[in-house]
Parts: sequence; C-alpha cells; structure tokens
Amino acid sequence: MRELIFALALLLGVISSPTGGELLSRDGDHDYEAPLPGSYNLPVVKVAPDGALVDSNGKSVNLRDLIRGRVTILSFIYTRCAAPKACPYATGVLSQLHRVSQDDSALAKNLRLVSLSFDPEYDTPQRLATYSEGINDEKSGCDWRFATAKSRAELENILNAYGQAVDKRSNPNDPQGPLYHILRVFLIDRDGRIRNIYSSGTLDPRLVLSDVKTLLLEETKLSKR
Amino acid sequence: MKSFIVLSTAAFAFAFNLGFVCADETCSSPYLARIDGQEEFVYVWTLGVEGLGDGADKLVTVDVKPGSPNYGKVVSSISVDGRNEAHHGGFTDDRHQLWLAGLDTSRVFIFDVYTDPAKPKLVKTIDNFAETTGGAMGPHGAYPLPGRVLIPCLSNSKDKGGRTALVEYGNDGNYIATHWLPTKEDARGATNANLADGYCYDARVLPRKNALLTSSFTGWNNYMRDFGKLTADSEAMKHFGSTMVMWDFHTRQPKKIFQVAGAPLEIRWAWDPKHNYAFTATALASKLWLVYADDRGEWQAKEVAPISDVKGGVLPVDISLSADDKTLFVDGFGDGKCRVFDVSDPQQPKQIYEKQIGKQVNMVSQSWDGKRLYFTSSLLAQWDKKGADNEQFLRAYTWDGKELKPAFDLDFTALKLGRAHHMLFGSSKLGPNRTVARN
Repeated sequence: MRELIFALALLLGVISSPTGGELLSRDGDHDYEAPLPGSYNLPVVKVAPDGALVDSNGKSVNLRDLIRGRVTILSFIYTRCAAPKACPYATGVLSQLHRVSQDDSALAKNLRLVSLSFDPEYDTPQRLATYSEGINDEKSGCDWRFATAKSRAELENILNAYGQAVDKRSNPNDPQGPLYHILRVFLIDRDGRIRNIYSSGTLDPRLVLSDVKTLLLEETKLSKR
Repeated sequence: MKSFIVLSTAAFAFAFNLGFVCADETCSSPYLARIDGQEEFVYVWTLGVEGLGDGADKLVTVDVKPGSPNYGKVVSSISVDGRNEAHHGGFTDDRHQLWLAGLDTSRVFIFDVYTDPAKPKLVKTIDNFAETTGGAMGPHGAYPLPGRVLIPCLSNSKDKGGRTALVEYGNDGNYIATHWLPTKEDARGATNANLADGYCYDARVLPRKNALLTSSFTGWNNYMRDFGKLTADSEAMKHFGSTMVMWDFHTRQPKKIFQVAGAPLEIRWAWDPKHNYAFTATALASKLWLVYADDRGEWQAKEVAPISDVKGGVLPVDISLSADDKTLFVDGFGDGKCRVFDVSDPQQPKQIYEKQIGKQVNMVSQSWDGKRLYFTSSLLAQWDKKGADNEQFLRAYTWDGKELKPAFDLDFTALKLGRAHHMLFGSSKLGPNRTVARN
C-alpha cells in the first residue's frame, strides 16, 4: 500500500503540471497527433435519450436538461469502480478537460461535463456530492454535474437506451468493484444529439477536446450561413 | 479540484502501465468485450445450399465447452430468410449482438447472443442497406467499434463493380455514415493517389496509432460468378483490388495508399504494444505482406514471404496471428492446407509446418492461448470446389506449438446445414477483462 501511495504521489507530481498543453500530450498509448478541430466531420449517431435523474444536490432533473444548451461529455460511472481502465480513467479524462477549460473561456462557457452513476443504491446524492466535492466551487472552468437515476426502473431504461452494459460480478467484494461494465462516454451536441461514443481505447483527452472544438466550430459555420 | 479528482487523474495515468490478460479469439477487435476463460461456443455463419435441409443460410451454434456432453455437437441452428451469400460477421462491442452479413442480398441479420449464448435469437434484419448507405453493397462483415459497428463493403449498387465503401451503423441498428474508398479521381488527400482503386475487403484498427487499415478484393460481378468461368475471363480478372489504404481512424480520412498486388484480404494487427505492424495475404499472388511503421514512424508495405511454391499459388484466404505475435496460420483454399509461419521476425517469416485440413479450407479461428484452432471450408458459393472436393465442415484441432491434432469434425453436408463459413467465439462468461482491451 505504501508503495502504491508513493507511486501515486510521484504521478501527482507529474500530473499537477500547470498547463493544459502539458496535460494533453502524446504518449505511448496514444501515439499519434490529434487531428485539428474542424478538419473532419462528426456524423450524428442518434438523439441522446432522456431519463429522470436526481443530482448531487438531491434535486430531480431530466437528463435532457443536462445535455442541451451546451456541448456535453456524458460519462457513465459508479464511484465504487476500481478498474483502472474504467471509471477512474474516464473521470480522469473529464478532470483533464475541466482543467483545460479553466484556461479557455469558450470551453468554460460552452462545455458541460456530466458524470452519471449507474449504481443509484450506493451512489446517493450525498455520496455523489462528496465524490465531486470542490468541483463546482471552482471560479472558472466548465460546468460539471454529477447525478444518478431516480429509480432502478428508470436506470434500466437509460442504460438500455444508451447501450451501457452493466453486470454484477460474481464476487461482490472483487477488488475492481462489484460491477462489470463496458466504458461508455458520449459526446453530445448542443441540440442533444450524440456525435461520438468513446470507450477505453478511444477516450484520448486530446481527441475528445478536438471533437468538442469541432462541434463549436460547426456551430460557428452554421451561424454564418 | 480536490482529492478525488486528482486521484482519478493519477489512476488514469497509472492504468496504462498495468499488464493485461485476454481470453477470446486472437483476431477480434480490440474494442470487443472479452470472454472470460475458454470459449464455450463456436458460431458458424453458414451458406444455405439448395436441396440441402431447408436450403437457407443459418447461424449454427456448436458447443465446445470442455467436458460438456454436447462437446463438438450442434446445439442450435437458426435459419434466416433464403440464401444471401452468407459471408462474415462480427459482434457489437458489448458482445450483446452478432451481426451477420450477406454479400449477395446486402442484408444484415442481427442476432441476440447475450440473453442465451447457446441459442442466439434473430432480432432484426437490415434489408435496405444499399438505399440507406447511398449505394454501398456487399457488406462483408461487422467490426466492433465503441457503440457502433464498421462494415467494410465489397461492391456498389450502381455498377456492381469493386468501388465501394466503409459503412457505420449504431449498435441499435441505426445508420450513421458512409465513407467511400479513395479513387484516383477522389483520393481525398491521400498520398499515392495514382494507385487508388476504390476497392475494399477487410478493415482493422490499431487504436494506439489511431490507424485504420483496409484491404481490397473484388465486386459483386466477380464474387457472385462461377470461379472457373471467372478465371477464364481475362477482362474480369483485371477487376480485383491491388491496394491497401491507411486511414486516420478518428477522422475516417484516407492518408496513404499502398500497392499490394493480387487482392490482399484479411488484416491482422500485431498485439504487442510495441509492435506497429500488420500482416495480410494476397489471394491471387500467394504472398505474405507486412504493413509496418518504419524508423521514422511512416507507414510502409512490403512483401515478406511467398506462401508455398505451388505453381499458380494456393489461393491463401484466412490468416490467424497468435496472441504473442510469433505464429501465423495461413489457410490455402486451393490445396486445403494450413501453413504455419514463424513470424517472430515479421520482416522474415519462415514456414515451420503444414497440415492438410481438407480438400478445401477457408477460415481459421484461434483461441487466445493458442491451444485450439477451428477451421471451416467454404469460400463463396460460386467459388467452392465441385463434386467430391466440395467438403463442407467445421474441424477443430489442438496446437502444441509443433503439430495440429484433430479434436472433432462436423460434416456440414451430412448434417444438412450447408457451407460452413465464418466462425466467432461465444460464451456465457463476459469476464473482468472486458474493459482492458487495448492495442
């Protein structure tokens, strides 16, 4: 355990570097140059489904209200997940995007991050509030919401509509967490349409950022017509 | 951004330094959810034969669980509507559905393989493929991507030649996009535009390099024609692909075109995180080719070995690369042999073994541990051999690193099933490795 903490501390020293550019750099796992925003198209996958949620303040909210009006990154998670390529990774990517948005007023104004738990019995509003403690206290940076489904039945509808596979592990005490799930993160445009779907193999923060900016440039082009 | 978020960011970076273990078939997409442990079923997409059984294409499920009383037996057979030139298929990335394509009718049959993997159920049929996709036809298979499938096609509805496209559908069957292969007239910025022929066959991704590689075959006019008559028609034989294309996967933009003469078919990327290369075999030229990143990171293609010294070639078809990137199995449809190459040095493959599998052999699927291989016989309805040479089978073997030994043999003609074609592994166990697929 001490070794792990030490390793994480070492990593923190690297990750706490001050600029977004250093945060989003090419590495061995993403060994390519990210495309220029606006140099490609992102076809519509489908309309992003709705669902009844409760947010980390305990307030009822519709999913469609969280994914409209801004370009949204929607990440399905559960806070007990310890699989390193799953929820911790996805939240890490969203964290990087949030940091970048602190130095980019257009992103801060036009981007929203949504972390949606599929473990409503454990991830109560109170737990989600603790999990996300401090995020929305930031003076700058884009909006980042945490929520879960209002009911188990509502959750099933949302998961089916988004194609988010979740199964219970046979060992509820599995060190990686009690649930199996495929990693799903969605890029949703301001009109509530899914424009990209990421998994662990494609969730490169540079690509996500390029996609977000591509959608914002697309809006600019459309508004000039 | 307090403690949790910082810790998540740290874990995110830390994750990529962890090792990973995979089960499953070696040639599957890196985006595909993994099965846990040994495969329990082999799904066989089977061409119907007029007068044999119900004559329809069907999904045949074979039990391969060790110790099962049904080991090596057919446990399910589900017929679809008519004969469609059943060819290849693929799972959705969550492994809930198996999409099976018909090269002739351009229909795509979607099966639920999650509710009961032993008894797949047909849940949807896409029967307006050409109209929906803007003229792409001959869907060749389905390659899982996050939340969607990539369908490389072989032909087009306008002239039924070889110009074709990559098509994307969402996992719920909604059409997303069509990406036409580059041509000389419309290379879309790819280098070596003068080589572009617009043909396609396989499409495979190396996520780590954001690389999508496609190969090339021929159009409906040729693949639906009797093989003997086709090969005697010198004009028709000019209409085969002789290119591979490297794409920017994220943007779906073609970047570089390679000349690879003689219809390069199946693409197999290496799995090791430091191995930036893929193999293919050319059906008409009987050569192994390597597509690789050179010392400057530039993609190149080169011929690296002949496949047999048989005059006229052996019509190499499917290939299977072991999970450790050291062994490549190459099926020769012409002589029914599987040849095994040591590809530890990918620039210099060396044949180390060969085995007569049947009078004809097409597909080969290999388990992740490299201990089990499965072979099927059919290539195309009009290209399969005639008479007694038209054996139709699923044959299972074990591999000990030196020799293929028979495990079981299913005669698809005697069982009145049809022509056995593409195989995919199934299981009731989607394991903890489902989130760690990488390449």
